[in-house]
Amino acid sequence: MESIFTALFKYRPLLFREGELVFGTPWPIAAVLGVTALVAISAVATYGSRQGKATAGQRTTLATLRLAALGVLAFVLLQPTLVLTSTVPQQNFIGVLLDDSRSMRLPGESTETRGDFLLETFGPEGSPLLSELQDRFSVRTFRFSGETSRVADASELLYDGTRTDLAGALDRARQELSSVPLSGLVVLTDGADNGGRALAESLVPLQAASIPVYPVGLGDEALTPDVQIGRVELPRSVLRGASLVVDVVVNHRGYQGETVEVVVEDGNRRIAQEPIELGPNGEPTITPVRVTLEEPGPRRLRFSIPRLEGEAVVQNNRRDLLVEVRERREKILYFEGEPRHEVKFIRRAIEADENLQVVVLQRTAPGKFLRLNVDDGDELASGFPRTREELFQYRALVIGSVEAAFFTADQLSMIADFASRRGGGVLFLGGRTAFAEGGYRGTVIEDALPVLLEEPARDPRSAFTQLAVEPTNAGLSHPISQILPSEPSAEADAADATGPEMPETLDDAWASLPPLSTMNRIVSAKPGATTLLTGSSDEGEDRIVLAHHRYGRGRVIAFPVQDSWIWQMHSEIAVDDPRHELLWQQLLRWLADGAPDPVHVEPDREQVEPGESIRLRATVLDSAYLEVNAAEVVAEVTDPTGSVRTEPLSWTVDDDGIYEAVIPVSANGRHAVEVVARQGELELGRGVAFFQAGPSDEEFFDAGRRTALLERLAEDTGGRFYTVDDVDQLPEDLRFTGGGVTLTEERDLWDMPVFFLLIVGLIGAEWGVRRLWGMV
Amino acid sequence: MRPLFSSGLALVAGILLVSVAEGEVRRSTERPPEVRRVDRTLPAWPVKTPVRSMRIPSRWIAGPPELPGWLAEETSGGSPSRPAVDDAVAPRGPLAPPPSRVSRLATAAQQTLGLTHEFYFTRAAYTGGRGGYFGRGAPAWATDYPKADIQFLIVLKRLTNLDAWDDENAIRLDDPRIRQFPFLYALEVGYMTLSPPEIAGLRAYLDAGGFLMVDDFWGTREWAAFEYQISRVLPGRPIQDIPLDHPLFDMVYDIDEVLQVPALGRGIYGRPTYERDGYVPTVSGIFDDDGRLMAVLNWNTDLGDAWEHAENPMYPVEFSTYAFQVGVNTVVYGMSH
Repeated sequence: MESIFTALFKYRPLLFREGELVFGTPWPIAAVLGVTALVAISAVATYGSRQGKATAGQRTTLATLRLAALGVLAFVLLQPTLVLTSTVPQQNFIGVLLDDSRSMRLPGESTETRGDFLLETFGPEGSPLLSELQDRFSVRTFRFSGETSRVADASELLYDGTRTDLAGALDRARQELSSVPLSGLVVLTDGADNGGRALAESLVPLQAASIPVYPVGLGDEALTPDVQIGRVELPRSVLRGASLVVDVVVNHRGYQGETVEVVVEDGNRRIAQEPIELGPNGEPTITPVRVTLEEPGPRRLRFSIPRLEGEAVVQNNRRDLLVEVRERREKILYFEGEPRHEVKFIRRAIEADENLQVVVLQRTAPGKFLRLNVDDGDELASGFPRTREELFQYRALVIGSVEAAFFTADQLSMIADFASRRGGGVLFLGGRTAFAEGGYRGTVIEDALPVLLEEPARDPRSAFTQLAVEPTNAGLSHPISQILPSEPSAEADAADATGPEMPETLDDAWASLPPLSTMNRIVSAKPGATTLLTGSSDEGEDRIVLAHHRYGRGRVIAFPVQDSWIWQMHSEIAVDDPRHELLWQQLLRWLADGAPDPVHVEPDREQVEPGESIRLRATVLDSAYLEVNAAEVVAEVTDPTGSVRTEPLSWTVDDDGIYEAVIPVSANGRHAVEVVARQGELELGRGVAFFQAGPSDEEFFDAGRRTALLERLAEDTGGRFYTVDDVDQLPEDLRFTGGGVTLTEERDLWDMPVFFLLIVGLIGAEWGVRRLWGMV
Repeated sequence: MRPLFSSGLALVAGILLVSVAEGEVRRSTERPPEVRRVDRTLPAWPVKTPVRSMRIPSRWIAGPPELPGWLAEETSGGSPSRPAVDDAVAPRGPLAPPPSRVSRLATAAQQTLGLTHEFYFTRAAYTGGRGGYFGRGAPAWATDYPKADIQFLIVLKRLTNLDAWDDENAIRLDDPRIRQFPFLYALEVGYMTLSPPEIAGLRAYLDAGGFLMVDDFWGTREWAAFEYQISRVLPGRPIQDIPLDHPLFDMVYDIDEVLQVPALGRGIYGRPTYERDGYVPTVSGIFDDDGRLMAVLNWNTDLGDAWEHAENPMYPVEFSTYAFQVGVNTVVYGMSH
């Protein structure tokens, strides 16, 4: 298409985009236009005065053709000229950035590997492209992967970088060439930017300095055939024994309809496997994999797919992720306003779970409370906590059937703050004095709930209904809803002979549960909330049984049924049926999971290369979870050899309570970070985090050429995107679009073939029409 | 002459006992030490329990709906869909309850379809011989029924926040719906002779998490009879004493002494509080593998009578108060542990 344009218009479209149109006629333009107008009028007059046998329409057509030919001729007589700004030869520099990451070893389009093209083009032996560039520019060559450095030519590239930091490379080249007239930066890469930095931030100074970037995309857009583990959603830390449902995203090309197995390993131990049928080409397939982590401490989990026949890349068949398995007891406060069977059965359900401690505060009579599972005699001695410090020591909160009027306004705010500020989980249970029936409409709790409160029933018992519960699609893949035991216990096997059989599928496990009852009519979830369980009432109305949403830093769950214990006691449930226990263990674990400690620390990434630095970011709060800016925060970094280095963290000033430090990493292996925050003599808390140092296979994921990213890079900076097929245009484009020292250059347009063709075409057309109508 | 002699002997014995009481109501702690310790070892079985052979009309007790298949398979003998009381046990079964109460029993059983209340004071209707209502035409399980239940519920609701149903709720042990009532009260259990379906039903009930409160059985003979029956329900689970520092005794009320609560006839006349050889009241229990109480056994005491006759000005308020406290504590414990 571009060659046709060039044949007609003499120059490439780029020159028309970049240039400015002027008229070079020595005569005044008005005179030229005047003469043209006279000729045109005489032509029109001629057609108008000589009637002949032609009709008015025919004369009009002929006059129009004649006028068009005259117009083109007049335009040519004006001597149209294209004024261009072009770089001065040998006065300017260009930076050539060569990708030196491991993905350059993957197959290229015209060469065996992507790296081969770099060697052929920018190697010591040179190439036509390089020669053309060197004719006009002083070329400075860089290699980049995680780091960027100057090289003489492409023979110095090793293609062993484990990251591609495109933003860092652009910054480095721009800074290094800031003292010379720079026409542009040519980046030869596959675009697999995984440096973790925002590319847009690096583009701003380039735009300000008018330095265009010319990306040259290497490799195919899609590697075929190939299958890869695209993404794994795994939290950074979990409670020991937690049953996680990890969403594993598998991408593939060329294996549609095949079944592969996703395997999860903890060290050398296989802890889960899940067969997955691959969907249409290019579409990600998401499969939930249930994983239970029993070994405490930092664990490195490997998610992998066995190598398939003919695969283009095998390194992207596995992903390693670091997760901290916490060995601690999550302390949960369950406040119940009246004696209820739920208290008993929730306590029994989680009794076997060593990582949950449910402290029960139960109002047995007005002003009289029963405390269970408290640590000492002072805990909750005066009833429900009256200060945030006292309440926020728990990591999750369960509110049973207790009317809103029981709480003071401040206590209600504290409950809402427990989620929004403290970041804990709050679970609201159903009951005759819960939700709207408990007077929570119009309170801060209504704002915090994930469901909408309806008009309360005058008598809650009149709203009594039974609900056949079923999970939603979101619920089926949520950790709370995984009520099928991962491995049948020996105890359950022994009891099979006497009890109802355990369902084999999750759908059946839910469908075979007896209905529950509710007195709280909850039919709508708030926008943004996720409904996990629904129920169908006796009247056929759909009700919400379990819904949650994020509220500030924490999460709030509504479970507006009053007798989940039926799933343990009902005669259709075997006495050792684990579904009730699993539901409550997972519900309370999920509720408490993610509730932050007052002091916690996170590295900016979990995988780092030796020689690079990692940024630690600590959040420091006091016991009321208010940000502390004047703390003394110190990190102790223990490397794999056991040596400990102490690094202070400093307040970022931009954000309250946020402290940062950049830690250089030198040793391969797992590093542990413990952050201690003090305010004077008072220790505010400690936080622990882990990161792994070593080479990663990140380069092999999504290793196809990322054309969209590279095109945006060119568009935002005024450059142009090339592939290996059209990269030969680069030198000329650089000449007219680049910055640096430039001069003005004029190109005549009057002799463009298109003018000749137009004039001949229009006159020929007029003649042809005359012939057609029999006038000649 | 002989009847006259017997009457005279009884009169002399009565005078002697009253003089020992020194005008006060007798309490268990005043028993001579040598008779307080009771050997509760199981005597040779079978214990001959005199029963009347009287067939109970099935319409008087609401039979269970269809048993779940697995429960039916577990029970040996008898059709799972038919109440065992009628065919297996009725020849030596319980006395019939008076018709006025039968209607209440049926009502209680039927309303299980919509349990709009949190708590139902549920009484176990079991197969067994004569009981406390011997001579009044009621089976053993129906002793003090339903007045004791209703009066206890009135006080229970007054003393706690509990959302309890106002009326009594009796249900058969082999009725699958019993699993919807996690708290169960049984008394006069010395006369209990459980059928296989009842054993299976009670065992599943307790294993699933149900709680059993036992009351009003006296002396070694009834102990042995009950111990045998409960050993069929929960084989291998021993009955153990519950010490006074157990949470059961301070759930709502602090109880630091186990009283012997007398039956009405003994309470209002100031007669000795014990019956038969049940001189010393004890609170014992059966624990599950995790140390939680599955059943609380109030032996040599009659809490039910104290509830039933609490409004009687002649019945000592000390006993009725204590009985209510024990009842409240047991309910709250049963609902929270």
